[in-house]
Amino acid sequence: MKLPQAFPLRPCTASWVVLLGLTTITFELGSGAPGQTLMAAVLALTLVKGQLVVSYFMGLRRVRPLWRLVMAAYLATVGGIIALAYLTA
Amino acid sequence: MHTETSVDSAQPLPGDFAIWIFIFAELAVFGVLFAAYAFARSAHVDLFNVSQLTLNRTYGFANTLVLVTSSYFVARATQSIKAGRGTACGNWLAGALVLGGMFLVLKLVEFHQDFAQGITLSTNLFYMFYLALTFFHFMHVVMGMVILAVVTYKAYAGRYSAANHTGVETGGSYWHMVDLVWIILFALVYVIH
Amino acid sequence: MKYQSQKVAKPYFIAALALFFGQIVFGLIAGLQYLHGTFLFPELPFDVAHMSHTNLLIVWLLMAFMGAAYFIVPEEAQTELYSPRLALVTFWVFLTAATLTIVAYLFVPYSHLAAITGNAALPTMGRGYLEQPLPTKIGIVLVALSLLFNVTMTLIKGRKTSINLILVGSLWGLALLFLPAFYFPTDTVKASFGWWWIVHGWVEGDWELILGALLGFILIKMTGVDREIVEKWLYIIVAMTLISGLIGIGHHYYYTGAPSYWIWLGSIFSALEPIPFILLIGFSFKMLMQRRREHPNKAAMLWALGTPVMAFLGAGLWGFMITLAPAQYYMHGTNFTAAHGHLAFFGAYAMISLSIISYAMPLLRGRTANSSAAQRWEMTGFWIMVLSMLGIALALTGAGIVTVILQRAADDPMGFMQVQDKARVFFWVREFAGVGFFIGLLVYLRSFFIAGEYEYASEMKQALAV
Repeated sequence: MKLPQAFPLRPCTASWVVLLGLTTITFELGSGAPGQTLMAAVLALTLVKGQLVVSYFMGLRRVRPLWRLVMAAYLATVGGIIALAYLTA
Repeated sequence: MHTETSVDSAQPLPGDFAIWIFIFAELAVFGVLFAAYAFARSAHVDLFNVSQLTLNRTYGFANTLVLVTSSYFVARATQSIKAGRGTACGNWLAGALVLGGMFLVLKLVEFHQDFAQGITLSTNLFYMFYLALTFFHFMHVVMGMVILAVVTYKAYAGRYSAANHTGVETGGSYWHMVDLVWIILFALVYVIH
Repeated sequence: MKYQSQKVAKPYFIAALALFFGQIVFGLIAGLQYLHGTFLFPELPFDVAHMSHTNLLIVWLLMAFMGAAYFIVPEEAQTELYSPRLALVTFWVFLTAATLTIVAYLFVPYSHLAAITGNAALPTMGRGYLEQPLPTKIGIVLVALSLLFNVTMTLIKGRKTSINLILVGSLWGLALLFLPAFYFPTDTVKASFGWWWIVHGWVEGDWELILGALLGFILIKMTGVDREIVEKWLYIIVAMTLISGLIGIGHHYYYTGAPSYWIWLGSIFSALEPIPFILLIGFSFKMLMQRRREHPNKAAMLWALGTPVMAFLGAGLWGFMITLAPAQYYMHGTNFTAAHGHLAFFGAYAMISLSIISYAMPLLRGRTANSSAAQRWEMTGFWIMVLSMLGIALALTGAGIVTVILQRAADDPMGFMQVQDKARVFFWVREFAGVGFFIGLLVYLRSFFIAGEYEYASEMKQALAV
């Protein structure tokens, strides 16, 4: 994602702010009623947060597609297994 | 203001490649632990739900904010050294170390409260996973801080430059992994129910 | 061979092979006693044959590791060994103590041996692999300290390489991990913990690091690959060994009275223990493919490649079979364990020892490699031993399956001796394979007596003529 030239924040700073926000949302959702929607929402948020760390903090945005794929696959696999376990509970 | 010039999307992984093998291995181990937690839970849903409520989610939340911010500081440190500013790099890293220390303190306080209530690895399956996972992660935070401390020292000593700063990226990558693992751990163990 | 003091490795290697020979003789006897329980009774009962077999294994491997250290550390550190004389004196002390101990096992009733060697003062005897009398155990510690002093002083004054640091560091670990041998509480749960700190700590931790260091050294020397590449592989292998093995020790705690969280932690982490062995295979074959020279010691290269493969099979694959708690519930202490133990010990530690001996012995005898004829005998010995050991492992696995089906998983279990009776055919196959192994060993040992060094000139001509 390329930010427009006029955007005042560096990509990593923007990511940080977003991460703080998503973390807060995750925390708030924690007091919600148990259920599959909540689980799905938190899991999705977590994977987005993870991808942000991978892309902007680890700086993998510019590396060979192979590594980006590996990390994305990791997040998808872990998320998938967790979702599977929770859905079949 | 930071501008993006060319987008070269075929670069190698940042830092020494060997650390990435290590990072992938650690991610795989934690992944297995997360999967084990999730499947163990599926056989004991009520136990996990009830026990999870006794966790202090605020501590987990605070720790997530702390770790995410420290990871951001490390990213800023890398950008500083890429611009040849060794002292600034050292400062960002030092900040990350302070935050890492805060994580450790918060976690220790939380552990102390757990033990004061008589919670141990043997209390029940949820607590076993909670204690084992967070302790295992704790040890990785410690290791990450040791690595970062070495890198910080070298940054202040002027051993890195714009052309030569593999150590910063290597140590930084490991720290980001520690952060990434916690993000998943917090959601899984403290929140999702 | 660059430094004169490396010569002290030679007696260690020779003794190692002699003790290996003794180990197999006792192994054949014990294997036959499975089938004819009164064979050589009462002069050499099964328990004595068994402990002679296992104790000789440990001692010959230690001799080989020590010889390897005395050979490798000076070369890596690029300086002479601190005290060759100390190394030689230590050798004779170790060999004498080991020999006397085996003789004592054979000729002195065990309880009497315990009485006359002060076991009452500090009980340490009576556990598997740790049957040695107290004086022998103390002797082992002193021998280890002597080795550690010598190689550490050498390392301090010389070049520090990753191989050197890993090797010397894990030798320190080996010595420290032996100390629980002196801890023998009456609480059987605690005693079990202590035992496994030594056994698991050694073979599923510390010794894997030694294996890595030795293999790394051999591959650098034989392939000419960049040291840095080898070092990176080693760091990763060392890391995965520790990550999986430290908490993986829990796979020995499932059913020994330890807290039940070990069922989870032991299963999860020990499931990862095959990973370093997979990496070792990748490592050795990658280095082979990237080699910059054709080293004339083909036999040593064969050992260096065969070791990770056999180690993976014995330690990784067979180990994985019995490591998860639900599986181990049925398989614990059956011949599955014996199959794993034999294939793993041979595949990993016997073979890495034979690898370093294969590489170093010609150099210690004044040549880069042995003659083609000698190497052919050596490689034939390799194949016979490897295939025989696989036969032993398969046979014992068969016996293990019989035990699990008839005695462990059955609704109406049969008694132990009845089941052993049912498994007789497998014990025959095992003994047969054991004889094959012994023949392979003889073929291998013969190779040392075939004169001559590698015939560069004629090999070159042959290669060019093709």
